[in-house]
Amino acid sequence: MTWVTWQQYRYQVAFAAALLAVLAVVLLITGLHAAAVWDSALTHCASDHSCALAGSSLSLGSPIIATLVLATAAVPALPGLLWGAPTVATELETGTNQFAWTQSITRRRWLAVRAGWLLLATAVLAGAVSAVVTWWSGPYNALNADAFQVNHFDVTGVVPVGYAIFAMALGICAGTLLRRTLPALGIALAGFVGVRLVIALWLRLHYMTPVTVYYKLTAPFTPPGSYLLVTNGFVGPDGKPAALDYNVPNYNGVALPSACVHATQNSPNPQAVLPCLAAHGYRASVTFQPASRFWAFQGIETGIFVVLAAVLIGITFLVLRRRDA
Amino acid sequence: MTDVIETSGLTKRYGRVTALSDCTISVPEGRISALVGPNGAGKTTLLRLLAGLAAPTTGQAIVLGGTPRQDPAYLAEIGFLAQEAPLYRRRTAEDHIGIGAHLNPRWDGESVRARLSRVRIPLDRSVGTLSGGQRAQVALALTLAKQPGLLLLDEPLAALDPLARQRFLGTLAEAAAGGGPTVVLSSHLIADIERVCDHLILLSESRVQLCGDIETLLAEHRILTGPRKDTTGIARTHAIVREDTTTRQTTLLVRLNGPVIDPAWAVDEANLEEIVLAYMSQDDPDYSTDRKFTRLSAVGGHR
Repeated sequence: MTWVTWQQYRYQVAFAAALLAVLAVVLLITGLHAAAVWDSALTHCASDHSCALAGSSLSLGSPIIATLVLATAAVPALPGLLWGAPTVATELETGTNQFAWTQSITRRRWLAVRAGWLLLATAVLAGAVSAVVTWWSGPYNALNADAFQVNHFDVTGVVPVGYAIFAMALGICAGTLLRRTLPALGIALAGFVGVRLVIALWLRLHYMTPVTVYYKLTAPFTPPGSYLLVTNGFVGPDGKPAALDYNVPNYNGVALPSACVHATQNSPNPQAVLPCLAAHGYRASVTFQPASRFWAFQGIETGIFVVLAAVLIGITFLVLRRRDA
Repeated sequence: MTDVIETSGLTKRYGRVTALSDCTISVPEGRISALVGPNGAGKTTLLRLLAGLAAPTTGQAIVLGGTPRQDPAYLAEIGFLAQEAPLYRRRTAEDHIGIGAHLNPRWDGESVRARLSRVRIPLDRSVGTLSGGQRAQVALALTLAKQPGLLLLDEPLAALDPLARQRFLGTLAEAAAGGGPTVVLSSHLIADIERVCDHLILLSESRVQLCGDIETLLAEHRILTGPRKDTTGIARTHAIVREDTTTRQTTLLVRLNGPVIDPAWAVDEANLEEIVLAYMSQDDPDYSTDRKFTRLSAVGGHR
């Protein structure tokens, strides 16, 4: 069955490998360039003791390549949609399952071998792309301290492998349940995007209890490194988050005490307003996931997607066994 | 002689639709059995149940000494050729030989090459570019390469022209001869069936109407022709399968239960097609109205 699977997917695998090679070459060239720029900038600033590169306007390379790197967020989904969704559905559509499943092999084994190799292939592909992207992103993340942001977190580290395994399982399961390739492809795409969005934008913020720091308005605080922001805002004199009201004289939605309204004279500027608010007992808070939790979060998120994939594969086996061919 | 297929009360329902109802049949070893019946009679369902591709709702099938199941040893004994001979259209016959070699413990790939070269079908062209007849030949050759104990063929002749049909049946007869597999083949083409089959299963309205050796069936059935008269005398001893009445005469197809004694009836042998059609039209509404019509006109004539 391994041989049969290879026979049926060798061209797709070769095509994917070729695309991967092209991407790797592009990222290798631009990545080496970015690393060289970064290193020379570091050397320069070290020599004249002016190292404040973070947030500076240093250009490491073309924004087109950065967009390409962002686009690799789609890579984990593609094998699941293009290989996973049709793998059972096309057999059912064309009736070839009646040929395959009346050879001397059980449907269970047929699916186990085929799904196993597809899952492995997509994991390897996504892992390889992620490895190159992670290496490429090094100087950028150091410059911008943004490794924990959605557009970097989701294309680096091990999470793309989890996404890819999930997408493949979803594609295979949808194809088996719906018995038709195109609807399965649509459902798998919608399901993948939906689950990814919910997890990336909401659930991820809560993997671990976030850290909250209260600080004086006159001494602004930014968490160190590439932290993940959960929420931030003003804290009132009562110790609770300040209610926002934009219909009264306010500073970023915080209603100003009358003394402070007078202080700003209709043109609120931070220099005058913040000390005034601070004097009236206002503080600020920032709730965040520290940069040190990056790999823990990568692990948790990968785990979630692998568990979801396992459930989908289980459903697929159940459906294939219970239902007539 | 042992039965390769033995079913009792085999029933398959899909939701509210009953595809096969209370099917009890037996097919002895070495037979080439024709599975006939109108469209939607349950032929495909029966074959799929026997192949283990579907599970019965109730009832049981014993095939080659066991129930059809997902087990490599069982599947190795079953050669199944589905309707329209589905194969991987973009792959060649040679690719399929390779797939079969990797998925079957017993596999005679050389026999496929030999059979196909004999009927001049190229091994290296994708199957989708072959004609329907050629594709059916490829599919049959692949099914035979498994060297199954039971060959189940679903409408293999439907899409073939007469010459292709002849070739296909030639290949089948040759394979089944001398210790070859037991065969069940569904078809609408009674003339073709008569050439190769020696056993018949007739399904109609999802029920079994007839099951037995063709020789026996031919011996059991007779066409009786006589003047228009009461048929209760005949019905007392024999089973009337079909009755056609005109103003002048009555024609009956009966299943005999002893000799016909009444000299008023002329007794003729029935051929397979007549027997099959008689059973198939038993529940046919068109036929019933026809009969009603002839009866009414007969009444008019009497007055």
